[in-house]
Amino acid sequence: MSAVSAGRPLRVEADADVCVGSGQCVMTAPEVFDQDDDASVVVLEEHPTADQAADVDAAAVGCPVQAIVLHEEP
Amino acid sequence: MTVLDADPARPQLPFGRPNLLDLAPLYDVLRREAPITAVTTPAGDPAWLVTRFEEVRSLLADKRLGRSHPDPENASRINTSAVLEGPSGDIETEEREHTRMRRLLTPAFSAKRMRTLEGRVQQLIDGYVDALVAEHDASPDGVADLHATLAFPLPVAVICTLLGVPESDGDYFSSLSERMSSFTGGDAQAARREFHAYMGTLAEAKRTAPGEDVITDLVRAYDEDPDFSHDELVRICTGLLFAGHETTVNRIGLGTLMLSGAPDQWRALVEDPEGRVNALVEEMMRLGAPGDLGLLRYAHTDVEVGEETIRTGDAVMFSINAANRDPEAFADAEDFVPDRQEKAHVGFGHGGHFCIGASLARTELRATFATLARRLPGLRLAVALDDIEVRETVTGGVRSLPVTWTEQ
Ligand code: HEM
Ligand code: SF4
Repeated sequence: MSAVSAGRPLRVEADADVCVGSGQCVMTAPEVFDQDDDASVVVLEEHPTADQAADVDAAAVGCPVQAIVLHEEP
Repeated sequence: MTVLDADPARPQLPFGRPNLLDLAPLYDVLRREAPITAVTTPAGDPAWLVTRFEEVRSLLADKRLGRSHPDPENASRINTSAVLEGPSGDIETEEREHTRMRRLLTPAFSAKRMRTLEGRVQQLIDGYVDALVAEHDASPDGVADLHATLAFPLPVAVICTLLGVPESDGDYFSSLSERMSSFTGGDAQAARREFHAYMGTLAEAKRTAPGEDVITDLVRAYDEDPDFSHDELVRICTGLLFAGHETTVNRIGLGTLMLSGAPDQWRALVEDPEGRVNALVEEMMRLGAPGDLGLLRYAHTDVEVGEETIRTGDAVMFSINAANRDPEAFADAEDFVPDRQEKAHVGFGHGGHFCIGASLARTELRATFATLARRLPGLRLAVALDDIEVRETVTGGVRSLPVTWTEQ
């Protein structure tokens, strides 16, 4: 099952070019985000579960450069 | 260049605060009525002060503001210390240098790297807590200094290991840090020169005796990149050593004070250290407010915000302390509520300069408070909050932290 935001499943996208390697998302939602060897963001779960939705939301809001975008899937 | 003129009628920073934990009441008024307002810096120059969470976040992420100044000779000065006292870098090269600095440093301090450090950090903390217990047992009134015995040596030891700086130099470079960030005494510039000289020598030594550490890596990068100046190398290393211990030392102290005022939270931590500690540390990051100055930028073009126009060259100060207590962003904003819904604070900054050491600081803070709860469940302050001596520096913090406990 995928995460639901306002009742809809989510797709997670992160822009590694914008990312400044803060590690904020990895801390907030470690099951969904990681950092590669250059500290750039890596999305582990493009379609997070409903249980992970709140953390993913918090990670998107908490990213200092807004590199994380959440798409609602139809 | 600065268009904002001086005006003695404006409020002057730093605003007097009632105690170590609470902010000046003026911040409430400003946030409500003038979230972007002209103030006078401690040095007597004009600057904008931003106090509301939303504007702090949006302007810290705004690339039209930077740490350099188009005409640095005429830039507003902030204070008489050598830390965040005025513009830094060159407007032509700022972005390039900053990008290089982050590219070089972020991998070394990533969340993943920091996880590999956890065992070492725990080992250090266990040793310091042993020392604290010995001090307590040897003291006739059972009092020990948590600042000198744990809060100070831990971040110093950790940053020394990472950077490849001899731990035995800790007292020396921390006294340099204190002199650099001091508002009083007037030798801040001399202290900075001394710090740079110390770092220059250390970096040079890495060339003949390289280690597995961040300074060795930086020296290598410097050798390979003709555009990377020696000045910049020394500035980065000094900045790392300074930021790597000053801030975290203070936060351990403030966190202890906050917990001493929240006995329910302490008990909950004692019952479930691993489960509770992350939320507690985030709340310490949000509410902890050492110093009163905030972050500094200069406008590189005119920037309109709300009803105000920040002109090219104007200094802009960001009160992350005030933003983190903005009632529009946080419910019960002044209260210590670790389980709050709102997670995004600006305690580590925001935007492109977001703290490089955030994961390191969290690793140290989490392990410290979880260990204290496990090993000293009866921990409490041995003096009243108002009797704790505060340092007169840009970064704030305490001089000592007398604690005691009863066996439980
Ligand atoms: C609790 C402890 C800490 C706090 C509260 C803190 C806070 C901050 C803040 C607010 C900024 C943003 C500055 C700005 O935007 O002008 C920052 C930047 C920075 N911090 Fe930390 N910090 C802490 C620990 C550390 C540690 C342990 C290191 C060591 C690696 C570190 C290294 C840095 C560096 C290098 C920057 C500059 C980043 C840039 O300009 O891109 N900090 N820190
Ligand atoms: S929070 Fe944003 S900047 Fe930080 S690592 Fe994640 S994507 Fe990158």
